[in-house]
Order: sequence, then structure tokens, then C-alpha cells
Amino acid sequence: MTRDSSDRSGADFFEIRFESIGGLGAHVAGKIVAGAAVLRMNMNGSHFSSYGSEKKGSVVRSFIRLAPADRSIRTSAPIEEPDVIVVFHSGLLAHPATLSGLKADGTLIYAGHENEIPEWLKRVPKSAKVVRVDAQTIAFEEKSRENAVLIGALAAAVPELDRQAVCEELEATFAGKNGHIVESNGRAFKRGADEAEIIENVGRVEGDVPTMQSHPAWGYKSAPIGGVLPTPGNTAYNDLQTSRTGWMPVLARDKCIDCGMCDMVCPDLCLVWSTHVDADGKPGVTLDGIDYQYCKGCMRCVETCSTGAITREAELPGMADELRVPLFPGLAATAGDRHA
Amino acid sequence: MLDQASAITSGPVRQVHDFKSGNEAAALAARDIGFHVMGYFPITPSTEVAENLSKMQANGEHDIVMIPADGEHGAAGICYGAALGGGRVLNATSSQGLLYALEQLPVQSGTRVPMVLNVSTRTVSGPLDIRCDHSDIYFVLNAGWIILMARDPQAVYDMNFCAIRIGEHADVRLPVIVAYDGFLTSHQKRRIERFDDADAVKAFLGEREDPYTALDPGKPVTFGPYMNDPDLINNKVQQHEAMEAARRVIPEIFAEFAELSGRDYRTVDAYRMDDAEVALMLLNTAAENAKEVADRLRDEGKKVGVVSPNMLRPFPTSEIRSLLKNVRAVVVGDRGDSYGAEGGNLSLEVRAALQQDPDNQTLVMSRVYGLGGKDFYDADAEELFREALTAAETGKVEVPFEYHGAYAGDGDAGPPQGLPPISKEEVSRGMATVTPNPETSKLEVELKPLWEMTTTPSRIAPGHGACPGCGFFPMLRQAYNVLEGHIVVLFQTGCAMVTTTGYPKTAHRITYIHNLFQNGAATVSGLVEMYHERVRRGEIPAAPEGEDITFIMVTGDGGMDIGMGAALGTANRNHKMIILEYDNQGYMNTGSQLSYATPFGHRTSTSEVGSSMSGKRFHHKDTPQIFAACNLPYVFTASEGYPEDFMRKMSKAQWYAQREGLVYGKVLSFCPLNWRTPDDAAQEVLQAAIDSCFFPLYEVEKGSTHITYDPDAIGRRRPVADWLGMMGKTRHILAPGHADQLEMTEQEVEKRWRRIKIKSEHPEL
Ligand SMILES: Cc1ncc(C[n+]2csc(CCOP(=O)(O)OP(=O)(O)O)c2C)c(N)n1
Ligand code: SF4
Ligand code: SF4
Ligand code: SF4
Ligand SMILES: [Mg+2]
Repeated sequence: MTRDSSDRSGADFFEIRFESIGGLGAHVAGKIVAGAAVLRMNMNGSHFSSYGSEKKGSVVRSFIRLAPADRSIRTSAPIEEPDVIVVFHSGLLAHPATLSGLKADGTLIYAGHENEIPEWLKRVPKSAKVVRVDAQTIAFEEKSRENAVLIGALAAAVPELDRQAVCEELEATFAGKNGHIVESNGRAFKRGADEAEIIENVGRVEGDVPTMQSHPAWGYKSAPIGGVLPTPGNTAYNDLQTSRTGWMPVLARDKCIDCGMCDMVCPDLCLVWSTHVDADGKPGVTLDGIDYQYCKGCMRCVETCSTGAITREAELPGMADELRVPLFPGLAATAGDRHA
Repeated sequence: MLDQASAITSGPVRQVHDFKSGNEAAALAARDIGFHVMGYFPITPSTEVAENLSKMQANGEHDIVMIPADGEHGAAGICYGAALGGGRVLNATSSQGLLYALEQLPVQSGTRVPMVLNVSTRTVSGPLDIRCDHSDIYFVLNAGWIILMARDPQAVYDMNFCAIRIGEHADVRLPVIVAYDGFLTSHQKRRIERFDDADAVKAFLGEREDPYTALDPGKPVTFGPYMNDPDLINNKVQQHEAMEAARRVIPEIFAEFAELSGRDYRTVDAYRMDDAEVALMLLNTAAENAKEVADRLRDEGKKVGVVSPNMLRPFPTSEIRSLLKNVRAVVVGDRGDSYGAEGGNLSLEVRAALQQDPDNQTLVMSRVYGLGGKDFYDADAEELFREALTAAETGKVEVPFEYHGAYAGDGDAGPPQGLPPISKEEVSRGMATVTPNPETSKLEVELKPLWEMTTTPSRIAPGHGACPGCGFFPMLRQAYNVLEGHIVVLFQTGCAMVTTTGYPKTAHRITYIHNLFQNGAATVSGLVEMYHERVRRGEIPAAPEGEDITFIMVTGDGGMDIGMGAALGTANRNHKMIILEYDNQGYMNTGSQLSYATPFGHRTSTSEVGSSMSGKRFHHKDTPQIFAACNLPYVFTASEGYPEDFMRKMSKAQWYAQREGLVYGKVLSFCPLNWRTPDDAAQEVLQAAIDSCFFPLYEVEKGSTHITYDPDAIGRRRPVADWLGMMGKTRHILAPGHADQLEMTEQEVEKRWRRIKIKSEHPEL
């Protein structure tokens, strides 16, 4: 092999993109799938993820590029027109970038509860295959993680992948750990493969999904020099809802004694207070509620509250919108904008 | 992992297939080479080299002595010293880390001491950006090191072996850098082949032979004499000759390596250049992308090719001259600018190389692309090819130099404006009242009840990007609750900085500055003095007593490793400012490597746990005592899990920083991600750290020590094991076979606690 080989190019890659948030294991999942292809299916492949600083809850993309064994992979650029997109958190479907470039005959796999068919699926090509799997519930029940379920669904839905090889690579990845982790992952994988459900007739797009060209907010003619941000506190426009993974804190006003303890520990500064003056002229404060736009669901408030006024509840669709008390009324959020 | 890899039998030496990233390949090469010593300091995206080696070490896969330095300057010093001892030495760094080490690099090349430095390239600050470009490696072009370029993980693996042979060659004797693209190569997994034949590798590498070493007392030598004119220029001629010798030696070693591995490297990688009329010249990954596009353009009948040097030092001048001899136009892409030079360094050197050929007619265009990790797609390569094709056709260069792929902006568009500034009055609400006690000459603090504080406008906005449960923000919120008036903060590099200022958004509602964590304290001290001087000159209105701007330098515990020198200098000068350290017990922003504040035995990604290693090997740094020894007006420890205590101390800190000088405070700050606990475990874990006396809460006010919470006295003392059992990063210490470790932890905790206690019992300590 000389190091400047002369393979010819062509559209002969099979490309998969994972859309996820930090903490759901998309990076490891990508490594497993690509590793299975390269080490167990005699293919060539590359794998990489798009994250910067690895904070839990921030947006992560993971890319898998596969090719026949004799086809060298030279490009390292992100995948723009994937054959398959796997969405690890259904909330991400609300962002158009999530589905960017999906091929007309491609496959979309998303993590969603039973009967959860987000309206955003209309952005999928008509001719594409859409698969839903309840990754969260299965992962919870099997004491595993979403990623094992989703790669099970992926390996079953995509004929280019060998289910057995992916399963073996999954086992090998966790081989050093406790036996029960390997087993629970194996069960989650199998259930992902078996319980994935094909959703018919949701896509409305003719042909491929166009690739999204996004520009930064400022360019060199408009940005203040030196990278200065004369925009104090404008992270308040961010919407961090997708950081919560199925649970949310809920305030029961009648149990709250407005002691202020929860405010000392909330990392996301999202408890909303108002002041008032008592009948006898004494000033006081009221905890009005929680601004779920920022709440990441850490439950530190729950743990700290001595009266049990805030409790941890399963988050059902729409619940946060309904219960939300805005911290900055009138401020319009820019969804999911998280640059960490 | 051998079981995952399939054996290859066809090659000259036994090899196995694997699927590895550039950083993994560098670590595997290090293991297979068997370096003696690695000195390192974590920095994205090269950190994984040390992390992978730590993992392998924990499993007993190698015995490289891994030395976690206090910063890259220290790491470079460690490596230099180790290499003077005559063994094989490794380092890995990127970006600011390379620049921080820069001062040492010419020392090492000038004294002719070989080693290998892997550079996973990343753009240099500021503003801080962790992605790839070549601006860091361009800074070391003049350092006198050989610089090999590795375009993919395979090349990273291979070049490390070649680097040993090249650098140690008797005619060369120079340190060698192996540079590969950050993230694009460092983090991208590819299929690679690696050696599975220790004897063949050993035979290829040979033994390191040094004409002089610092470890042969029978043969005393002086390294690094004081050498002025007329001698130094002669020393530099030798260095120049060594580099020239490398020109000859490198192809020889590449040829030997090809015999060993079957992989044949050239000093310049030339793709479809035989009859090319137009070329694109790029380094590393971008060149690989361009090859795909070259194939496509060839199918259209365009005679294009790609040129990509495999080394920058020595610069392959004659190879480039001959490759471009018949090329009508070349676009040279630079992933880094040499501002004001009308071209990045690669363009400048290509122009210089061609200029020496009087017959050369090649039109050269220079394009700066891909800065700060901006992706380079096929479409970008195609555009650059088309520019070169146009020039070749017209015989004319329209634009000799410009940036490719930048964005001008869209009229009035921009990020959201932000929140209104917070007035001084809104945040001067008397949540803490500080009064000097004339009898004790200490301060006394009265706090308002917590509920009253809830409506203090927060100087930090929500919407930041930290992990769920992160302890830094409760800490900051608590501090801001009691601090009055105007504040200017500087955050050193770390989680708090990264999560609050992702461009174009900022969570700071007050003036905020970032400087790298080597130098934040010094930077604030300069600003403080400018403030007072401008007030003195009447340029800034003077504030009433106690109402000056309060200046706070916020740092992680890691910043008190690499930034210790600057911080101690600042402390000794006693500027009116606060240094506030949030201690999450590690370098969390870069993915949880050990800091000196990481306690003994704790697991981090550079102090792994396995059959041969069990977490961090030395005890945590006692930073508060170091600052106490600077005789500051006020030093304290606190925990974000005990807000009243912390807020009392913070209000004292402001009082002292306004009137007397520098305050240092260390606050234990919860990190669920890397402590491996549930997100809501802060309270119990922090409490256990305090109740076990691992983290005593105390203050040193004007030199005398006062314990503010004494678990012994109130019967809440708990064994350290209670605390260790709560975190995934420490649970192994309680496992059978780790009794020693537990005992050593207990002893150290008890020793330090007793000392604090004794100090607190004596009025002058
Ligand atoms: C000179 C230099 N070396 C290394 C780095 C990489 N780096 C950035 S933040 C960081 C760790 C900071 O640790 P700490 O101060 O404890 O803050 P934390 O991330 O834990 O919040 C490191 C190693 C850098 N930015 N600059
Ligand atoms: S800690 Fe509980 S009782 Fe106190 S203010 Fe918060 S929710 Fe109300
Ligand atoms: S769960 Fe509670 S403490 Fe955590 S971010 Fe949400 S409101 Fe704040
Ligand atoms: S890694 Fe730890 S310190 Fe950093 S943002 Fe996450 S929780 Fe906070
Ligand atoms: Mg830290």
C-alpha cells in the first residue's frame, strides 16, 4: 500500500448521522456501529462526533461513514446527505437542522414513546422509511441506556448492517465492565431491534430533504471587533428543554413556605419569585413557579426542599408549557441554542 | 484490544487491523515504542493521548512514567530534563499549550536533545476556540524542531516510529513534532494497521544513543553554557546543518519504514500530479478531502492534482519546486494567517521556493481557509480548484490573497440584544452587613434571611450550557446575593467560562473578561491598578469609601495549578481584588483529568483505576494554606452546599478587597458528571466531604485561623469512607485490596485537620 493511493471517487459511501444530546451515548453508539462494520463486517469506515466541550445535555452529532473494504475513505468532513438519521431525543425533531439532507430513499429512526408521532415528521421525505422506538422506556426497564436500544433498532432497520456483528461489537465494548451491564445492554439492543415500529405516511417532502445552510448571527462586517459581546445576559434567549431526560420538578404552591432554600441551589437560575407586602405591612416573597425553558431537571431543588413542595414528576408532552412561569415575560426563546 | 482486531499476514512484518482515532494511534504508538517518560498537561484536542495511555497503564499494558505537569511550560521542562537523561521521551499538546511550551522548544533544539511531541493542531486564542487549524503549528516553525505532518490516524501511528529514528540519528539529533489535525484526525476513527511484532519494532527502532547524557557521572559534561558572541552563531550553524542533514535522513528512514510496514511515505505527498496543470496545495486532512474532488475533476478532463507536504521542517523546497515545475497555477491553502504578510506561512514558503527557480512560471494564489475548525467540504476544495483553473486559463491571478469561506454578515441581523444592565442600587440591598469588631479587630457579618435574597437580580443569566446539577452556578449565585455594587469579573479557562460565553451569547450581565488560566490573576491585577490610577487622575469618578468596583478573578482548581505562579505574584503584591476558586477536583472542562487538587486515589481520565493503578498517586494540593502563607488579609474555604457560611465569608471578602488587599477563597463545587454521582446528590456529598474533615471550613483572617464549622465539636464527624462511598470516582477505594489507600487518605485528612485545629487554637497562627 503506498500512502497516496489512487482510488476513484463516487457516491459509494453509506452514511449515517446520529442527532443527540450529551449524556445519551450517541458517540459511543456511533463507535460501536462503525467498529462493527470495520472490524466485523470487512468494510472500511470512519467515525467521529461533532461536540466541542463535553457538557451533559448539549447537542451532539455523531457521524458514521461506511464503504466497501477496498474503497479508501479520505474525506473527514461531516455528513451532509445521510442515508440514515437516528434521533436520540424526539425534542430534537423540532429543529429543522436535525433532518437536514436526509435522502429521499433514506431512513429516519427516532426515540419516541408509544404513539408519539411529532408533527415535525412532516419534514421527512415521503419515500423515506420512518421508524419509532421507545428508547427511553426500554432503557429504563432494562437498566440500560437509550443508545443500546437505538442501535438495536438501527441494525434491524438497515440491511447494510449486520445485526449480529453490531451486537457483538456492543458486547465487546462493554466486555471489561460488569457482566450485568453486558446483559442489560444486550437485552436493550434486542428489544430495540424487535420493538421498533415502522410509521407509515408521515413524511410530506418530495425528494431529498434540502441541506440546511446556516449562517452565524454575525459576520465580519457586522460583529463587534475582538469578539466582544455587548449583549449582557443574552443566554436568557436559549431554550434548554431538551436537557431534561423525562423528569421535571413540579411545585405544589400549597406546601411551599417560600423559605428560599431552593433558590440557593438551582444551577439554572430558573425559579421565579415575586415580592409582596403583607396585610400587616411586612414585605414578603412568593415562589411563583419554575421557568422550564431553562430547567435542566437536575432535581437539586427537590432534594433541598424540606417541605416536599417541589417533587420529581415524569414529564409528559406539553406539561412544561402548561406549568411554566416565565422568568422574563415577553422574551422569545431561540430553541435549543446551546453552544457549550 | 487484540480480540477485536484481525491479523494481517501479507505484510513484511506481522500487523493487525484496528479502528482507531489519531489520538488513540499516538497512544498505541507510544505503547509500542515503549517511551521511558511522558511529561504532559491536558489540552483539547490532544488530551486523549495521555488519557489513553493512562487507561492502558491501569491495565498494565506499558510502563511509561507518566508525569502530569502543572502546565505545558512545566511539561516541556519535564520532557527536556528527562531527555537529557538519555531515554525516550514523549509529550502531546495543542494550541495554547504549544504556545505556553514554546519558550522551552528552542532551548531543547539548540542543545540538541531529541524527543517526540505529538501536536494535535488547534487554533490559538483569542477568542478561545478548541477546533482545528494550523495557527499553533505555524508558531513553532522557527523553533528548530523537525515537524512531520500526519494526515490520518495511520500516519500518526507511523510517523511516531519514524520520528524516533529521525530525531536520534547521529547527524540530526533534534527533537521532532508529529502534527495532525485536531478533531478531524485526533478524534476521527479510521481503519489502521498496527504492528504485532515487538521484535521487529525493536529492531527497527534500535537503542537510543546519546553522545552526552546527564546521567553518566563518570563523564561529567556541562549542558547549556553561557554563550555569547562570537560563539552562538557557530552553534546555530551546527543546528542548521542538523536540519539540512534531516533532509537526507528523513527519506532514508521513510524507506526503511516502508520495508518494515509496507507503507511508503514521501516528504511530499503528490496526488495525480504527473501531468497536472493545476494544483491545490493543502496540509493534512483538507488535502485528503481535495483528492476526492481531484478525482471528480479529472473525470471532467481537468488536469488537476493535490500537493501536500508530509513535513514542514525541514521544508521540502526542492520537492515542491520540481512538483510544480509544469504546473500553470496553484492555490495554496493556509489554515492560519501570518497577518500582514499577504499569505499564510505555507504560501509564503512555496512562493520563496519557486522564486529560486528562474524558469518557474507557476501562478501562486494564497487562500486562508478553515480557521477555528471551519469545516472544509468537497465544495470548498472544488471552489479552490476552479480558482486555480481560471488563473491557468487566463494566465492571470485576479486575487493573490484572500480568505476563503468567511461570512460577511447580514445587515442588521445579529444575536438577541440581551438584558438591561443591573443598576448599582438593585444589587446593593444590604443582604449582608459587615461590621468591624474593634475588640477583636475582625469582621462580623449579619445575613438577611435566605428568602429575602431570592429577589436580588442575578448578575448571571439563565440559559448557560453547564451540565444539569453543576455546582458552579449555585456558588456564583450565592456570592452575587451578598456582593454589593459594581463588579467586574474575570473567568479563567474552565467549565464556568466555556458554559457561560458560547458565542454569540453570554450569560454575564456584568462586565466579564476571559484570559487563559495561566494568567488571570495577573490580568485582573493590571485592571485593578488601572482603575485606581484613572480614578486618581480624575478620568473615572471616585466612589465613596467601600464602593469601588469589586474585581473578582474566578478560577477552577486547575487554574490554580497552571496559574499558580501568576496568582502568587498577584497575592504577594496584595492588589485589592478577590481570587475565587471553585474546586471541582479536576480539569473538568477538558473531560476530567487529574488536577493537583484531585484527592489521592480519585479516579480521573489521567489517573485511571485498574489492575496496575488505582487513581491519583499523590495527595491534593493545599491551596488555601499556600495563600495563607502570603500573609493576605483574608483567606477562606467554603462549600456551595453551605450557603450561609459561604455568603458570610464572601461579604467579608468584599470588605477586605475594597479596603486592604487581596482575598483568596476556595469553594468546594459539585460536579455530578465527573464525580459520577446522581445530579441531585450535591447536598449529601458536599456535607460528607465537610463532616469527614476532608474539606474543613475555615478562614484565616489577618493571619489567625478560625474554624467556622467543626464537625468534631458538634458530634457530626464521619469517617472519610462515608464520603468516598458516595461517588463513582472513589468507590474503588473501599473495595477489598485497597485498605492501604483508604488508610493513607484517612491519615492525610487527619493530619491536615489537626494542623488547622492547632492553628485555630492559637491566636497568632
Ligand atoms: C495553556 C493551556 N493549557 C491547557 C488548556 C486546556 N484547558 C482548558 S480548561 C482546562 C481545565 C481547567 O480546569 P479547572 O481550572 O479546574 O476548571 P474546570 O474545567 O474544572 O471548571 C484545561 C486543562 C488551555 N486552555 N490552555
Ligand atoms: S425550598 Fe421548598 S418550601 Fe422553600 S421556597 Fe423552595 S419550594 Fe418553597
Ligand atoms: S430541577 Fe430544580 S434545581 Fe434543577 S434546574 Fe430545574 S428548577 Fe433548578
Ligand atoms: S463537567 Fe462538572 S463542573 Fe463542568 S459543567 Fe459539568 S458539572 Fe459543571
Ligand atoms: Mg476544576
